[in-house]
Amino acid sequence: MTALLPPEIEGGSRFDRLVQPARVHGSLYTDPSIFAEELRKIWHRTWVFVGHESEVPQPNDYVRKQLADQDVVMTRDKDGELHLLINRCAHRGLQVCDDKAGNSSSFRCPYHGWTYRNTGELLGYPYNKGYGGKNKLELGMGKVARVDSYHGFVFGSLAAEGPSLDEHLGAAKGEIDRLVGLSPDGQVKLDAGWLRHRTRSNWKFLAENETDGYHPQFVHGSIFGVTGSPIGALYSDNSTAVTRNLGDGHSENDLRPEFRSFAEPMRWFGTTPDRVPGYVAAMHEAYGDDAQRRMIEGAPHVMIFPNLFIAEIQVFNIQPVAVGECVQYATAVQMAGGHELNQRMVSQSIGSVGPAGMLLADDTEMYERNQRGVEMADPEWLDVRRGLGRESVDAAGFTIGAATDETGMRGFWTHYKSLMEAED
Amino acid sequence: MATTPDPQRHDVVFEEPTGPLAVPGVGAVVESEFASVSVRLDQSGNSVRLRVEDLRTGRVRFLDALELESIVWLEDGHLTQLLDPSHERWRG
Ligand code: FES
Ligand SMILES: [Fe+2]
Repeated sequence: MTALLPPEIEGGSRFDRLVQPARVHGSLYTDPSIFAEELRKIWHRTWVFVGHESEVPQPNDYVRKQLADQDVVMTRDKDGELHLLINRCAHRGLQVCDDKAGNSSSFRCPYHGWTYRNTGELLGYPYNKGYGGKNKLELGMGKVARVDSYHGFVFGSLAAEGPSLDEHLGAAKGEIDRLVGLSPDGQVKLDAGWLRHRTRSNWKFLAENETDGYHPQFVHGSIFGVTGSPIGALYSDNSTAVTRNLGDGHSENDLRPEFRSFAEPMRWFGTTPDRVPGYVAAMHEAYGDDAQRRMIEGAPHVMIFPNLFIAEIQVFNIQPVAVGECVQYATAVQMAGGHELNQRMVSQSIGSVGPAGMLLADDTEMYERNQRGVEMADPEWLDVRRGLGRESVDAAGFTIGAATDETGMRGFWTHYKSLMEAED
Repeated sequence: MATTPDPQRHDVVFEEPTGPLAVPGVGAVVESEFASVSVRLDQSGNSVRLRVEDLRTGRVRFLDALELESIVWLEDGHLTQLLDPSHERWRG
């Protein structure tokens, strides 16, 4: 394993030494004490993507979710309000819900029968004389301190105080707007089911890789070759696409400059309007003159810190498990009013992130080999300087690099460092 | 396929919710992880009734039209009281 601290650098905070402008230290991916600190300072504090409102469409629907190491039940109560309950009985701490999903106005713990409403409130317990009668206990299931959503994307924060979701998302909101703007009804659904990929890698390798435009030509050569996709060529030194640091740890690969120059609607999706006529008609109906622009520019490719990755047609939910293990949940985006586009989104997602898919398996091979690699002793550092000398600031004030530059990773690390340097 | 997964390699699972169930001879099953009951119409009486069976214990209750209508009109608070384990079944 790489040494715990680089000895040759003196002074500054611990994270000044580990996270530098052009390189980061290998122990960030292998040191269990850093992982424990990340749980406290990032995963138990900041806003974390948990799921989507469309996963609990009916009153009393619930789904089990992860929020880092916490087992969470996302419920919709009878009045339609969303809750994120911590899946733990207030009696002796048993896991209350076991199924992945269900519909129930109340949950009964299987150990001694304590029963909760799906808001977390304790509704009753058996043989209540032992407690002096009914309603004698001021107890309930735990709750994620703050719950909020943006266009149906549900986030939770285990900290009662802190920046609002709106502040946390910052410029990344515009990317979610772009995604829902491709639905004729202005809404997406994430109800096609989630594939759970267990990955033997530190979570940060995934967060960094999602907007790494340097690797696609290597790692994804096979899927680009088989599908004849024109996307691979967008990740080269000749590309006009940019990597943008959106601030707050968020980043994107903005392929719009390329798509605008081709000016072909649905090119971003690898198809043509005549193959998805119902969708194209619905877009024109909904957005009039602006429909063409939306269909030319396509969906975002954005990594929202720390764990939501919107990759054009699919969404990934990354959750850490241990210093060298995480889970990637992946699902196909479904456009409300999307007509035949939705079926195609599902089949493309199966081809890319399904059990025999060719995209995520290739990335994951890299994540896992990356983890094995950084467990080796030397060289201790990972280089993140690519494009540092050719960055610029765009009209909106964001730092941008070329399509293959590590501008997104540097934005990730700046935000990471600021969170890790905060008080415990 | 009884191969042992390589602990170093990633694995994939599709998380499917449970689907509807109709068991022959039992009827439609209304089920969650918390309870499992079968429902079917019973026509052995002079009016049709709903036969509801708690499949975990075999206990059966018939509900006639007026009783069912009353359940529809129960206030949520009253329904919630019925869910208190001490209310009836585990009162002792
Ligand atoms: S632990 Fe849940 S009822 Fe006892
Ligand atoms: Fe026992």
